Amino acid sequence: MMKLLGYTLLLTAIFCSQAFAKSVVVVHPDNTASISAKDVQRIFLGKEKKFSTGDETIPVNLPADNATRTNFDDAVLGRSTAQVAAYWAKLVFTGKGIPPKELNSDADVINLIKSNKSVIGYIDESAVTGDVKVVSLN
Amino acid sequence: MKKAYLASAILIGLSSSAHAEIRINGFANLVAGVTSSDDSLYEFDEDINFATGSLFALQVSGDINEDITATAQLIARGNDDFQVDFEWAYFTYAASDDLSVSVGRFRSPLFRYSSSLDVGYSYHWIAPPQVVYDVVFNNIDGLRLDYSNYAGDFEYSLQAVFGNFEAPDGGGVVTGDNTLILTGEVSYESFKARAVYGVADKIDFDLPALNAAITQVSAGSEALENFLLAEDDKAEFIGVGLEYDNFKYFISGEYTITKLEESFFSTEDAYYITGGVRLGKWTPSVTYENFDNMNPFKGGEFISQLPPPFIAPVTGGVNALQSTFRNDTTTYTATIRYDLKANIALKGDVSRFDSDVRDIEDATLYRFAVNYVF
Repeated sequence: MMKLLGYTLLLTAIFCSQAFAKSVVVVHPDNTASISAKDVQRIFLGKEKKFSTGDETIPVNLPADNATRTNFDDAVLGRSTAQVAAYWAKLVFTGKGIPPKELNSDADVINLIKSNKSVIGYIDESAVTGDVKVVSLN
Repeated sequence: MKKAYLASAILIGLSSSAHAEIRINGFANLVAGVTSSDDSLYEFDEDINFATGSLFALQVSGDINEDITATAQLIARGNDDFQVDFEWAYFTYAASDDLSVSVGRFRSPLFRYSSSLDVGYSYHWIAPPQVVYDVVFNNIDGLRLDYSNYAGDFEYSLQAVFGNFEAPDGGGVVTGDNTLILTGEVSYESFKARAVYGVADKIDFDLPALNAAITQVSAGSEALENFLLAEDDKAEFIGVGLEYDNFKYFISGEYTITKLEESFFSTEDAYYITGGVRLGKWTPSVTYENFDNMNPFKGGEFISQLPPPFIAPVTGGVNALQSTFRNDTTTYTATIRYDLKANIALKGDVSRFDSDVRDIEDATLYRFAVNYVF
């Protein structure tokens, strides 16, 4: 019984530590487009290919097991990472879409944004640098 | 043969293009199934079987230029001895952000899950409800227009498909020329509604055993025989689907009607309702399916013109033939899905199939599946 309780607590701790990874949506500082939560959702689900300025969007993801990704999928896309994967499986195998590329880390996302103004990504709140602009989703 | 040419053309197109960034994706379903006692259902029986529902697929796609994409999908199916076949091969031209035109061989958009029918990972079942999804043809050669847009929180898409199909069935071939399929889908927040209308101008059932039986029961009446045979006849398909999915739980259903009026074929009504809950990595769900084509026997107006002594025996023969295709069935399925990783799902289900017409068809089936995408 105690063992089970301990295990449950451990799982809860792991779950909570994941939940603390708060994601923020970031773009190039020169990106002047107005971007709402709905726009981010549409861009990351492949429904919108352009910013409000008419410029092309290149969304990038973090890996499926990354806690910031989990937080982003849940908070912004409103579904679990597995559900997002199932959504893309449907589009990919009907030739109707290509999922966002996956980068390995927050630093990779920042680097790509530095070199390409079309990129939109998300990183952990604590990883934000002056090279990117945080998009307020309210 | 034609499709092999098309597929090679696409692959050559891809490999010779300097711009082409080739994308390779794949999916696999490994399904094991066994029925209780000596039942049989969906090609499963009391000996555990790993091939019938299993498949491996590779999809290759690439951009030929900024607006044109080529896609080819190869599938090896267990119920076809894992022989590799070009399932789809088509070019898509993105005319604008909202409109695209595809040419080649692709999936007929008859149902909500038609396009991802083979991708077990994309839905909560091990296989979509058979009474609705078990149709003679799934792919079509032709042209497809896709339009999608949104207005506020409403998203909508329209699709038009025109082409021909050819599919093996019951020891012969079923073909449909001048097939037109129109679909419309709207979604608003968690709700989605879909409607489809399909019409095939000229359906032909080139099924030797069936056609010989029709000739025989027609007892020399050409009018009756021509009526009963499915030859150059018009077929119609109507379908509606509704869905509510808030990512915590979902409930959805589809209703379809298939008609081939000028033939022995009795109009089929089929529907299913499914619902489930998403509890973290677990998705338990239940599905109810119903199929019914118990309509009045056809051909009476032709039989009544025969000389009186023929009427009773010919009626008997014609009705007996139609009876073999008549059924009224219900199926209950309980499924559990477990998301092992972001690209692997494990599933188990149990289905109970009951026929009100032939008790011998009643069956219970247990399945286990692994779905994988990459």
